[in-house]
Amino acid sequence: MEIMPFLIPIALIIAAFFIGGFIWMTKKGQYDDLETPRHRMLLEEDIKVTHTKEGEL
Amino acid sequence: MSACLHCDQEVVESYYADEEHLCGPFCCNGCLTVYNVINHKGLSEYYQIKKDVSFFKKRAPVELSSAQYSFMDDQDFIAEYSYKGLNNESTMEFYLEGIHCLACLWIIEKLPEFVPGVKSSKLNMGQSVVSIVLDENGKFSKAAHELNQLGYRPHPLKINQSSKELKTKEDRSMLLRIGIAAAASGNIMMYAVSLYAGAGEEYASFFNLLTVLFAVPVLTYCAWPFYRTSWQALKNRTLSIDVPISMALIMGAVMGLYNLFTGVNENYFDSLSALVFLLLLSRYFLKTIQEMGLSTTDLHFFYQGESVLRANNEALSEFSEIHPKFIRPHDILKIKQSHIIPADGEIISGNSYVNNSLLTGESEPQKVSIGSSVFSGTLNISSDLVMKVNKINSDTRLGSILRNIENGWGQKAKIIDITNLISKYFVAAVFILSGLLFIYSYEPGHVKEALERALTLLIVTCPCALAIATPLTFIRTLSKSAQKGIIIKDDAVIETLSKAENVFIDKTGTITQNDLQIVSFSILHEPIISFYDVIHNLEKNSQHPVAKTLKKYIHPLPYKDLEVSDFKETPGVGVSGIIADQHYEIKNNSIYQNSKIIIQFIARDSIRNDAKESIEKLKAHGLKLKILSGDLKEHVEKIAKMVGLNADEFEAEMSPEEKNNVIKNSKHTLMIGDGANDAIALASADTGIAVFGAMDISLRAADVYLSLPGLSPAVELITISKETMKVIYRNLVLSLLYNSISVLLAFTGHISPLTAAIVMPLSSLTVLISTLIGTKKLRMIWK
Repeated sequence: MEIMPFLIPIALIIAAFFIGGFIWMTKKGQYDDLETPRHRMLLEEDIKVTHTKEGEL
Repeated sequence: MSACLHCDQEVVESYYADEEHLCGPFCCNGCLTVYNVINHKGLSEYYQIKKDVSFFKKRAPVELSSAQYSFMDDQDFIAEYSYKGLNNESTMEFYLEGIHCLACLWIIEKLPEFVPGVKSSKLNMGQSVVSIVLDENGKFSKAAHELNQLGYRPHPLKINQSSKELKTKEDRSMLLRIGIAAAASGNIMMYAVSLYAGAGEEYASFFNLLTVLFAVPVLTYCAWPFYRTSWQALKNRTLSIDVPISMALIMGAVMGLYNLFTGVNENYFDSLSALVFLLLLSRYFLKTIQEMGLSTTDLHFFYQGESVLRANNEALSEFSEIHPKFIRPHDILKIKQSHIIPADGEIISGNSYVNNSLLTGESEPQKVSIGSSVFSGTLNISSDLVMKVNKINSDTRLGSILRNIENGWGQKAKIIDITNLISKYFVAAVFILSGLLFIYSYEPGHVKEALERALTLLIVTCPCALAIATPLTFIRTLSKSAQKGIIIKDDAVIETLSKAENVFIDKTGTITQNDLQIVSFSILHEPIISFYDVIHNLEKNSQHPVAKTLKKYIHPLPYKDLEVSDFKETPGVGVSGIIADQHYEIKNNSIYQNSKIIIQFIARDSIRNDAKESIEKLKAHGLKLKILSGDLKEHVEKIAKMVGLNADEFEAEMSPEEKNNVIKNSKHTLMIGDGANDAIALASADTGIAVFGAMDISLRAADVYLSLPGLSPAVELITISKETMKVIYRNLVLSLLYNSISVLLAFTGHISPLTAAIVMPLSSLTVLISTLIGTKKLRMIWK
């Protein structure tokens, strides 16, 4: 049990770090749209549009 | 039946992209056109992505619009609707119709790759709002035009900076509260479990202190909304569900602190903070679901119609496109065919037919010519008109209906919903019982024990079924309905809808399609040349509604161009001309060949495919139906007969006010309609459902909006609401049962606050499972 005085501060520091991070990210607007990003990540980045000549339509 | 390749609606009449009928089917020309555009632009990956995702909202077929959006380049418009960013970038937000699934996201965010000048395009799928950022060379009209071509009709949103910031701030603080409550209760759990497990004396008091430290932000900052609403409720001398929650939190905190100072290592901060977390979470979900549809203030902007043409000079030689918002009295406007008239005024040039049905309910188009009055909200059907504006916005006829609504003409009878009612009595009962228990178990010198037992009762009867399960049930119903294209403004609608007894239905646009169709076509004598050649060549340039219907009727037939001599069109009568040496004439629903009737046809506003079936289903629910229409009696009677309703089940030639009176004099009412003439009725009925294609004004007055055509979503919604209320009642019974048992145990002193804290989540779990399972019928509908 001698390890406890060492572990508890670490646990507290980690908790504080993540709570702080969460507050920071929320204030930065990272969580303003919770719907779209979870869909967006499913899309392939590299599907490119094959360009057609302007005015073809 | 197969589904449309583009919009996934069932296909009635198939359209194909190629001659061999391999590519398709499509449900309508709109979807087909969009398919061609998408393929042409090299975006065909869209369909692959759409095929791969399982989740999507239902959407309506694409309606083609030829809008050009050049008004968006107007300086006034840009100043009002966009905002500037760094490097001369400007941003504008659009509400898009038809956002549907992942593939829509993909195609819309690819916009910068094929539209020059667009810097970025970010879509918020939950709200169907895209924000488009342009560099200094970009044009909003170009971006809007492209979006329109892809089948997403864009509606510019005016950004109210201050209210938007306020909302963002509120949303963020709600998330912060949830996140902090989650993190703190997780950490508290660690130390609380060690305490339960019997942590050694040297650690116990330290752990106890830690749980208190973590609980402080939860019980102050995170739980703040509960204290605020309870305070408000108490100030208004009522009880709300938040009152016992706040009481339990405060009492629990006081007891915990008291224990800390007296050196007893026992507290309930673990269950209290978990409770705060769960309550906040369920409220957050309910709020997000409710915000899924657009807010009504946003809706206001886009049903004003698209752009209008305003004359730049007296000579009427030049017109420029403007947004309807900028129309002023005495402006000269050009109203194109099939556009909505945006203001009240007088025709100064042109002849046309105008469909007034949205305003009056009359299905037959009215002929207008120079000097006729036209009204805002009506549809110009046949040819271009030039009008002089007399009245705008709230001075128009449409505006006065709107004012009536706002002034409470159509105010709803206040309905106290069951959950509120029960929670009030429930809360009062809990308080009285806790007080009784305190007195009952009070012995001089043992205040603490009595307090502990009272607290036990408060915790164990915590109304979780009311506070968490009921919102959760509504969340499920609202979100699943939204996926099915039913937008519900308020969860209280579910309850009032489940009680509906008298259903009133508008005719035009709701039961019927508000679009003429040939319902009978009998050839009495074979004409010398084929009838479709006659129709095609005589009606080629006519914009009369019947002519258009005839042309649509012969569309699939192999007609060809022939020479017509001596062509004559008599407005209000018909057309005539000589083809292949024979004299043909189309008038009075007949085709004449050399003055002899050869064909008779009937063009009528036809009923929707699902109308008859839907009405039968509504009757099967035991509802009393009645058609309320502003149209002529003979038309209404015919339609009523076709959908199987008797003579006493319809009323014709009704003004908006009369419709409203009928509804006010009935109980448990449901109104289904679309036009402005239904708006007051929609607002005063217990529940108002606006169907697909409804006007802005009815949307604002209604509680539910169906984003798919037809009556069948309304029928489904009634079933859904009935089944949802069943689940809610079941949950109430379950939790009341749990609570009565625990009250008994608390009185006999069989449970401590600690066991109460363990038993309570169990009861919550039962109601949550009951909610998730739903009823058999709901499961079938949700499939």
